[in-house]
Amino acid sequence: MTDFPTPSATHTTTKELNFMRLVRIPLLLCALAFTLAAGAGLTARADAPPSATATELKDAAGKAPTTATLAQGDPGGTLTGTINDVPVADSKTGLTLGDVANQVGQNKIGVNFTWTLITGFLVMFMQAGFAMVEAGLCRVKNANHTYMMNFFVYGCGLFAYWIIGFAIQMGGAAGNGNLGGLQPLASEHLLNLFGTNWGIFGQSGMFLAGHTYDVGVMVIFLFQMVFMDTALTIVTGACAERWKFLTFAVSSVLMGAFTYPLFANWAWGGGWLSQLGVNMGLGKGYCDFAGSGVVHAVGGVTALACALIIGPRIGKFNRDGSANAIIGHDISAVLIGCFILAFGWFGFNPGSTLGASAAGCLRIGSVAVNTMLAGCTGTFGAILYMWVLKGKPDASMSGNGLLAGLVAITAPSGFVNPTGSAIIGFIAGVLVCLSVSFVENTLKVDDPVGAISVHGACGLWGVLSVGLFADGTSNYGGAWNGVTGSVTGLFYGDASQLVAQLVGISTLVGFVFGFSYALNWVLDIFLGQRVSAESEVAGLDLPEMGQIGYPEFVFAPEPEVLRTAGAAAVA
Amino acid sequence: MAATKSQGSAFTLFMGGITAAAAGVAFFSTGMGKLALVLGVVVLAVAFFRFLKIKPEEGEVAEGAQPAVLRLAGLAAGFGGWIVVLFGLHLTASVSGRMVTTLIGFAISLVGVLVLLPAAANKNAIWKA
Repeated sequence: MTDFPTPSATHTTTKELNFMRLVRIPLLLCALAFTLAAGAGLTARADAPPSATATELKDAAGKAPTTATLAQGDPGGTLTGTINDVPVADSKTGLTLGDVANQVGQNKIGVNFTWTLITGFLVMFMQAGFAMVEAGLCRVKNANHTYMMNFFVYGCGLFAYWIIGFAIQMGGAAGNGNLGGLQPLASEHLLNLFGTNWGIFGQSGMFLAGHTYDVGVMVIFLFQMVFMDTALTIVTGACAERWKFLTFAVSSVLMGAFTYPLFANWAWGGGWLSQLGVNMGLGKGYCDFAGSGVVHAVGGVTALACALIIGPRIGKFNRDGSANAIIGHDISAVLIGCFILAFGWFGFNPGSTLGASAAGCLRIGSVAVNTMLAGCTGTFGAILYMWVLKGKPDASMSGNGLLAGLVAITAPSGFVNPTGSAIIGFIAGVLVCLSVSFVENTLKVDDPVGAISVHGACGLWGVLSVGLFADGTSNYGGAWNGVTGSVTGLFYGDASQLVAQLVGISTLVGFVFGFSYALNWVLDIFLGQRVSAESEVAGLDLPEMGQIGYPEFVFAPEPEVLRTAGAAAVA
Repeated sequence: MAATKSQGSAFTLFMGGITAAAAGVAFFSTGMGKLALVLGVVVLAVAFFRFLKIKPEEGEVAEGAQPAVLRLAGLAAGFGGWIVVLFGLHLTASVSGRMVTTLIGFAISLVGVLVLLPAAANKNAIWKA
C-alpha cells in the first residue's frame, strides 16, 4: 500500500514554481492551437463536399451486377434492385448524392401513392358490399331497383364530385407532405368572424383542370371520391323500395356535389371544424380519422331526412302505429355483403393515413387491428343483445352489428388503443339494436336496411368516442390539424377535445341534416320523391327498371297486409 | 306511372345544365366561362320546369301531406340549435362553459330533428288512413 502525503504535508519550492510557469505557457498555447484546429475542422466538415460518399457511390457502382450477370437470372432476388436502378441526372458526372436523395424522396411518395391508391380501390369495392346488403334486406320484387340504385349512385356521385364536389371539399387542402404537398390545392375561401378566419369551402380543382392536373391531386381525388360515394349509397338503403329512380339520381348528384363536400371540407379540407383547435383552443380541432362523421353520419342523417320526406312503405305500419316486419329476400347476400364491407374497411381506415412511409404512418398496423376488433365486438354486442332479449341471434342484426362497430371505429381508429376500440365497437353493436327500435317504433320512420341507425347513430357515436377514448399516443408528425401534440380524449385528460367533437356532432345534426332535408324537400316539390302506390305494390323492378331481378323465380305471395294496404294508402 | 322517356330526357337536361354551370364557375374569368354559366343556369331551370311538368304522370302516391308549418319549425329548430352552438363558443373561453352551450344547442337541434319533423311526417301518415 502506498502512503500519499497529506495536503498539509506538501510544500512547493521556488525552483519548482519557475518550472511550472515555463510549462504552463506552452500548454496554454497548445490548448489554443487545438481549439482552433478543432473548430476549423468542424467548419471544414460542414462545408466540404461529401467526397467520401462520392467515392462510396463510385465503389458501389463498380460492384453492382453487370448486364451479363443479370442476364443469367436472379432466382434469389439479391441482384435485382441495386445502385444500377437509381436514375442519374447527368451521365457525365455519374451518380451523385443528389440523385440518391431524389430517389429516396420519390420512393417515399411512391410508397404513399401506392398505399393510398390500393386502399382507395378497396373502398371502391365496398359499393358491391352495400349493394348486396341493401338488396338482400329488400323484397325480391325490388331487387333490381335496389341493385341499380347502388350501381348508379357510383356514377352520379363520381361525376358530381369531379365537376364541383372535389373542389369544394379539397380545393384548399394543400400541405399534405405524404402525397407530395398537394400545392395546387391551395385556395380555401375564408370567412372572417369575430376577428378569426374560418375556412368555408375550397375553390380549386373543378374538373381536375389547370394546375390541379397533378399526380398528387389525382391520388387524393380517387381516395376522397370513393369515400364520398360511400356516403351517398347509405341513403339508398333507407329509401329503398319506394324511391323514384329519377329523384334518387338527382338527389345523389346534388349530395355528391354539395352536401358531402361541404362538411368534408370543414372536417378534412382545412375548414372551420378542423380549425377549432388552432382558433378556439379546443383540443386538436374536430378529429375524424377516417369518417365516422364525414362519411357515415353525413350519409345517415341525410338518410333520415329523406326517409322522413318520403314516408314509410305501404304496409310497414298498422293503424295503431305498430310496425310490421318486412323480411328481406336474401340473407346470404346480406351476410356476404357485410364481409365485403368489412374487407373494404381495411382500405377505409388504414388508408386514411394517406401513406405508409411518413411520420406516424407505421401506425397503420394499429389502425387495422382497431378496425378488426371493433367489428368483432360490434357483432358480439348485437348478437348478445338480440339473443338475450329477443331469444334469437338475429342474422340481419348481426350483420348490422358488425357494420355498426366498423362505422363507430372509423373516426377514432387512428387515435385509440385496442382496448378502447373493443369498447367502442361493443357499445356500437348494442346501440344499433336500440336505435333501430327507436327509429321504427318511436319515430315511425321506415328504414328497410337500418342505415339511419348503423351509419347515423353509430357514426355520431364514433365521432363522440374520439373525444373520450383518444389516448394521446398517435403522433402523426407531431401535430394534428395544426395543433402540436397528439389527439387526447377526456379519459386521457383533455376535455376540450370532447367539446370539439360535440361541435362536430351538432353540425352534423343541425346543419347537414337541415341542409339535406331542405334540398330533398325542394326535390319533392319539383320531382316527387315517391313512386306511385301501384308501382310500389307491384314491386319497382318492372315499372322503374323494366326488368325483374330474378325472372325465373316463382315468388311466394306477400302477406295480406302488404297487398291490401296500398289501396287504403292512396284513398 | 314509372320511369319514362320524358324522365330520361329531363334528367339528361339536368346533367347537362349542372355540368355547364360548373364549367362556367370553373372558368368564370374567361368569356366562355361566363357564357357557360348563364347557359347552364338556363338549362337547369328548363330541366326543373320539365320535372315539374311530368311529375303528375307518376299517378297516386302513398304519401300523406305533411304540414308545412311544422316542417319549417323543425328545420328552424335544427338550424337554430347549430347557430346556438356556434355562437356559444364565443360566449365563454372555458371548456365547461363551451360544453354547456354546445349541449344546449345540440338539444335544440334534436328537438327539431327527432320531435318536430317526425311529428310532421306522421301527422297524416299513410298508415293512419
